[in-house]
Amino acid sequence: MNYVNRFLLAFLLVAAAAAQTPAPPSGEAMLKQAISLHQSGNIPGAIEAYKNYLAVKPESPLALSNLGAAYSKSGRFEDAITQYRHALRLQPTNAPVEMNLGLAYYKSGQTALAATTLEHVHKAVPNEYQPALLLADCWLAMGRNKAAAALLTPFAELHPDERALAYILGTALIRDQQLEKGQIIISRILRDGESAEAHLLLGSAKLSAQEYPAALQDLARAVELNPHLPYVYSWYGQALLRTGDPLRATEAFRKALEANPFDYTANLQLAILLKEDNQPEEARQRLQRALQVRPRDPDARYQRSTLDLQTDHLEDARRELEALVKETPAFTGAHVTLATVYYRLKRKADGDHERKIVQAQNAETQRRQQSGENVK
Amino acid sequence: MKFTRRQFAALAAVPLLEPAAPAQTPPLFEEIPPSQSGITWTHHNALSPEHFLPEALGPGCAFLDYDNDGWMDIYLVNSGPSDFFQPTKPLRNALYKNNRDGTFTDVTEQAGVAGGTFGMGVAVADYDNDGWPDIFVTSYGNCILYKNNHDGTFTDVTAKAGLKVPGWTTSAVWFDYDNDGRLDLFICSFVDYGPTAHRSCGQNQLGLKFYCIPRFFKPTASFLYHNNGDGTFTEVGAGTAIAQSLGKGLGVVATDINNDGFMDLFVANDTVQNYLYVNRGPDKAGKTKWKWEEIALPAEVAFSAAGQPRSGMGVDAADVFNSGYQDLFVANVDQEMFSLYRNQKDETFRDVASANGVAQSTRLLSGWGLKFFDYDNDGAIDLILANGHPDDMIERYSPTVKHREPLLLFHQAGGKLTDVSATAGPAFTRSYPARGLAVGDFNNDGRLDVLIGNNGAAPLLLKNNAGAGNHWLGLKLEGVRCNRDAIGARIRWSAGGVIRSRLKNSGGSYLSSHDPREVLGIGPATKLDWVEIKWPQPSGKIQRLDNPPLDRYISVREQ
Repeated sequence: MNYVNRFLLAFLLVAAAAAQTPAPPSGEAMLKQAISLHQSGNIPGAIEAYKNYLAVKPESPLALSNLGAAYSKSGRFEDAITQYRHALRLQPTNAPVEMNLGLAYYKSGQTALAATTLEHVHKAVPNEYQPALLLADCWLAMGRNKAAAALLTPFAELHPDERALAYILGTALIRDQQLEKGQIIISRILRDGESAEAHLLLGSAKLSAQEYPAALQDLARAVELNPHLPYVYSWYGQALLRTGDPLRATEAFRKALEANPFDYTANLQLAILLKEDNQPEEARQRLQRALQVRPRDPDARYQRSTLDLQTDHLEDARRELEALVKETPAFTGAHVTLATVYYRLKRKADGDHERKIVQAQNAETQRRQQSGENVK
Repeated sequence: MKFTRRQFAALAAVPLLEPAAPAQTPPLFEEIPPSQSGITWTHHNALSPEHFLPEALGPGCAFLDYDNDGWMDIYLVNSGPSDFFQPTKPLRNALYKNNRDGTFTDVTEQAGVAGGTFGMGVAVADYDNDGWPDIFVTSYGNCILYKNNHDGTFTDVTAKAGLKVPGWTTSAVWFDYDNDGRLDLFICSFVDYGPTAHRSCGQNQLGLKFYCIPRFFKPTASFLYHNNGDGTFTEVGAGTAIAQSLGKGLGVVATDINNDGFMDLFVANDTVQNYLYVNRGPDKAGKTKWKWEEIALPAEVAFSAAGQPRSGMGVDAADVFNSGYQDLFVANVDQEMFSLYRNQKDETFRDVASANGVAQSTRLLSGWGLKFFDYDNDGAIDLILANGHPDDMIERYSPTVKHREPLLLFHQAGGKLTDVSATAGPAFTRSYPARGLAVGDFNNDGRLDVLIGNNGAAPLLLKNNAGAGNHWLGLKLEGVRCNRDAIGARIRWSAGGVIRSRLKNSGGSYLSSHDPREVLGIGPATKLDWVEIKWPQPSGKIQRLDNPPLDRYISVREQ
């Protein structure tokens, strides 16, 4: 979240500077006092002062926006969003406010809304580096790796020494299996000497290449160098899982969620581990979080439906699985589970239909595996 | 003598004697080393730089009483010549005769059961109802049927019996599917690994070759052979669900999942779904003689909870929860966890491995031989698991998964299994490349011992010392109208106010065959009220024994 906090600070200052422009005489002192409290770090005081001012001047975009920033600073993102949206209704083209709205969505885990908002900001100020960076980070969280890489590539040429940019771009390239381009970014980071970012990128690249023990070494080093690096524990957890250490993977995913409660991968993987460990309640919470970030994500939805099956919520499972197999007909696991749900619901004909699909798909998978590459 | 409270306090305060050394209690399971048992045979796994897959899968083992002297002997399966392996010195299977004093003598050559194929597993039963156990050996290559000559020797009757089964066969099970009183034979077929299908997997980051995951090979159909009653067999799987369900079978157990009196089959497959063949009796539609229905998916034993096929290897069945129905178990490879399937009494099952701590204990293990058995004779079914990762290079990929893995022992109390491996003895603190596992009472003390076949290593013989103070009755059932081994018999018994039951299943574990006797544990009860035996069809008679003796083996002949 380091980068996000930096953006937030930058845009708060923009908002605060704007607040120093002359205000109408009535209530001017109240607004000045609110801004002064805000700048001095007295956030509860500032919130009260902004609210007092808005009681007098309810249609002040500046006060609404600054109140939103104060709410955001104190972690009250839903309140912040309400204020920002009010301000934007009054001033629809205010890019800094829209940026702050995007940040509030981002920090409250509403990644899809954050991305939509930031796309709008990016269109309005296409050469601005920071909205693009945050938008790319949203797309990474949503699994839109190719789009994130394409968005950041031009900026990387303009800002070759910006480590945050290199890190996010490198992550996007590696996740998109553009390993050669990712390697160039990694080399650029490595020029600065050993860093957590470099090890994280190397580790994630090795994980993608199924070189699990080597990935684990890099990711463990990244954690050692900077445990606060975004997604570092999430990647580390995946490496631990792949090398057969579910207990430490669970710990790593929990740490990832301490840093970012809306880390999709950490939520999903932890949910699977919890489900396997017969802890359905917490598993469901984690899946809900994952789905907050990626509402239509088939993996998270499938895991939720298997949890529904496990806890005998058969109709919920049926609805979700029917939608999933319609959207993703090749999802064999979903057909298996849907068949199981139908059989439990005593809908034998439907179960048999799904079973035939499973058999056909598995036969095709077997055929492909036999003729596939000779790799482990 | 009684102490007053003051005298007792004084004794406690001033120790008069040095405390006695704590009495040495033997471990629950005690390893009997080769130097003590005389079992010096070692498995040769034919390990090569190319890493041909059959190297990694053996061996099986068996307890059997080949000479009918009432003492369990031991049979061990070895690798041998094949199209990818020519041994530099002769390799052979081994038959060890029980000397009745805890030692064994190698009688392989006299008995004529040395094998000569690239052996995998063994299934022992009296297929010709002559009262003497016969031996069936599965292989990569041709199988072998050894008929017992009643004089300590055997004759290879494979060709005459019509059992020259091709391909790569693994576990096999004798059972009477059509209730005609003769044991039929189901043989698991693994993958298509013919000379043109040999493939080598490698080019990994280590630049080495490793064992291919079985998903790279074609699945095959397993075999069902009907016993014609004249020493010959006829393959009858063709046209049925057994031949239609292509799999990669490694483990099989014959049981009756729906209590309809017909024996069913549960087959563990590697990298494809498991199969549960339910025996529906004679085919009324007349398409085939016998109707088999494959129901693993609707029964919820085909795939993982995430809808994925797993690497099923060992299996077993037993009425674990004393519900009157057979529960199932399947062992998989590491990360997949093993499954304990509780019978819902409607031809479906629920995986209760997590609730019993089995899933958690097995996450990092790859399981092969396994058996439900009441190791401490308290009347409740327990479980033993033999493990070992198939890939001898796994430790280069994974810091936490090992090639040699520990055994696991679960004890059942109050309907819940608990991992008690930590207190089961030193053998459970060591690691093995375990594959086959057989259960049998080699010293006739009523406590079921364990034999484990290790890949490329010596077998492990574990003597059971558990259940001190608990009583038991051992039954050697002799069918007359039903099959001689009484496979499929239902046994009920009452002791200490508790009625328990058991189905005499066949097979289970991996590549292995078990003591055919049934040991009924009755815990601390000092009296066994009655034992009831329902003989399998075609008689189906119920025979009752009132006030049977305790702590000994008895023979019961079908009347």
